[in-house]
Amino acid sequence: MSNSVISVISRFLEEYASSTPNKLKVVDAYLLYIMMTGALQFLYCLLVGTFPFNSFLSGFISCVGSFILAVCLRIQINPQNKGEFLSISPERAFADFLFAHTVLHLVVINFIG
Amino acid sequence: MAHLCLFSLLVLSLVIKTQTLTPSHHLTTSDVARLQAVLSQPLTDLKSAYYSVVGLSKLGIFVADADETCRFIKSNLDPSSVESLFYAAEASQALSGCEISVSNDTRDLLLATVSEDSTASQIHQSVSALSSLGLPLASQEVVSALKARISKEDNVLAIVLALQTASRLSQQAELGDILEEIEDLAARLDDLGGLYLQFEEGLEATALFVSAAYALSDHVDMEPPLKEDQVIQLVNSIFSKKSWDSLSEAFSVASAAAALSNNRFHVPVIVSAQGPAAVSHSHPFLQLQVTDVLCQPLTSATVLVESASAVTSKSAILSQAPFTLRDGVFELNFMDNQPASGYYQFSVVIAGDSRFVANHVELKVKVSTRVAINNMDLSVVDKDQSIGPKTTRVEYPTKAKASFMADSHQNFAMTFQLVDETTGVELTPHQTFVRLHNQKTGQEVVFVAEPDSKNLYKFELDTAERKTEFDSISGTYALYLMVGDATLENPILWNVADVVLKFLDEEAPSTIQAKTLYTPKPEIQHLFREPEKKPPTVVSNTFTALVLSPFLLLLILWFKLGANISNFTLSPSTILFHIGHAAMLGLMYVYWTHLNMFQTLKYLAIIGSLTFLAGNRMLAQKAVKRIAAEQSSRLAKYRSLR
Repeated sequence: MSNSVISVISRFLEEYASSTPNKLKVVDAYLLYIMMTGALQFLYCLLVGTFPFNSFLSGFISCVGSFILAVCLRIQINPQNKGEFLSISPERAFADFLFAHTVLHLVVINFIG
Repeated sequence: MAHLCLFSLLVLSLVIKTQTLTPSHHLTTSDVARLQAVLSQPLTDLKSAYYSVVGLSKLGIFVADADETCRFIKSNLDPSSVESLFYAAEASQALSGCEISVSNDTRDLLLATVSEDSTASQIHQSVSALSSLGLPLASQEVVSALKARISKEDNVLAIVLALQTASRLSQQAELGDILEEIEDLAARLDDLGGLYLQFEEGLEATALFVSAAYALSDHVDMEPPLKEDQVIQLVNSIFSKKSWDSLSEAFSVASAAAALSNNRFHVPVIVSAQGPAAVSHSHPFLQLQVTDVLCQPLTSATVLVESASAVTSKSAILSQAPFTLRDGVFELNFMDNQPASGYYQFSVVIAGDSRFVANHVELKVKVSTRVAINNMDLSVVDKDQSIGPKTTRVEYPTKAKASFMADSHQNFAMTFQLVDETTGVELTPHQTFVRLHNQKTGQEVVFVAEPDSKNLYKFELDTAERKTEFDSISGTYALYLMVGDATLENPILWNVADVVLKFLDEEAPSTIQAKTLYTPKPEIQHLFREPEKKPPTVVSNTFTALVLSPFLLLLILWFKLGANISNFTLSPSTILFHIGHAAMLGLMYVYWTHLNMFQTLKYLAIIGSLTFLAGNRMLAQKAVKRIAAEQSSRLAKYRSLR
């Protein structure tokens, strides 16, 4: 069974490396970065305690929010999804991404204390 | 007859509102003596001589050295002043054997004053002087002059003087109009709380009004239009003040007192009990003093008890029982009726003269008795009733010889009866307490002994149940019985026996500390909220570095992917956009450190709008470029396919 899992994973990685355009890979790297940051924050909270709980929450929510917005951006600039987003050009998607991030950061900074 | 007229306000103030008023203030003998003393002050001038001499004569006292006073009056007389003539004439008439010679000029002066142009006071003085000196005067002229003055002056004092003047006139004169003024004046009196009636001009005006009204009423033999309650209220007002500011005030009170004690229509009656209104076997007589307002006993009166009933049971004890007069005091032997101890409500009537006012009085009389304790039985009963109780009888006032032992398996019981010493009737006094006093520690515990339905008092001490009251301290307790009541003459404190109590789980007997209720309590140290435990700085620093590390990873990945900024066009919008964006991120940092939300929003609005505009331009240019590139690539593909 583990064999099949490994083969599936390796196949997936191959496909990913070959067929994904570079732009999307850049965004994917960014997504990975955000995820790791969030995970490390959560780990800290688990290990050391929730002392400045508001700070932990704001940091974690910031990671989660950024992840979601980046995912939305990735979906919207994916050329394969062009059919579903006819009225939204990649530039427009990027502008939305920036605006949403401004709001997110405003809230996060307010809450971080 | 100088009797001790003891002031018993309690008796007289117990007025039931449904009955007529009884006087709450009156002159006692000491007050009358004080009034005399005020009026007997050494003479300074003619006016004071008038007040003193005439005032004392109204109280029925004659000046000691009449000749001396007469000479003083004559020497101070000023025949040209109506006022001086008035004082001299009135004073000399009160003194016996004092005649003032009058010249024709004096007489003419006095007669001339009787006119509409003089004040009411002047008319009063001249008429009184003429009348006292025995000179003839024309009554009808006086009446018309008075009527004119009354309508012109219309103040209380003027009308009172007019009344007083009218009482000196001949009875054939038309005094009807002036008589009506009494009623008008009475309407002007102020009612204070239903207890007092007086003029706002004060005590003197009220007292003078009373004496003038009764003088005139007696003169024309017509009852003054004053109701009984009004008379009593006037009595209260006039005699509530017991020290007088001036000689004129004392004189007015004396003349009012004289008028009220000796007129043809209304004589207020003052009834007071001699001593406390209480009877007992040793003092079986209820003694009442019945006097007029000048504290002179009314020996012609007959005093009758209309009804006497017990306050609690409302059963009537007496009806229509007369008091007997002895040494000027009315007394009744109440104990003859064998009343049970307690309080009785007496309704007393003073008859004998139709002029008596306020002659129905309510009294509360207390009947006291002595109590005796019978059949005091002490016993120690076993709780499970296995061993029969040992009863010891103790006689008052001895103490039981042996002490009683009671531990947790036994109850200590006490029964006794309280009876009236003379009649043997069972009593239930208000206070029947059993007190246990530990001699060593000074602790005492008090219980109440309750009577059962047959009026037998029982007290039971369950040592196990009551151990909290005793603080579980075993030892010898002295047992006292305390009996008391308002109607008992001999309250009892009797050390009946000693009781040794044994409690389970006894602590070492410690001295009882006085209750530390009022000593300073231990200080409370306020604990501020402790800050939460922070992790050590090393740990947090490590994790900060750890959390920032993925950024490095990101840069490495991007580098590997070949992300670059080669397409960076240096157009103004691009630069502006990037600067604006950087400024927004900088603003976030500043917001975290310095600003609040409102300031941030303000700056954000400014920077954001700039960035938006620039970014819009930039992205539009990018879009155009992209579309052009796509089109050209499509064109190239199409071309290559062909």
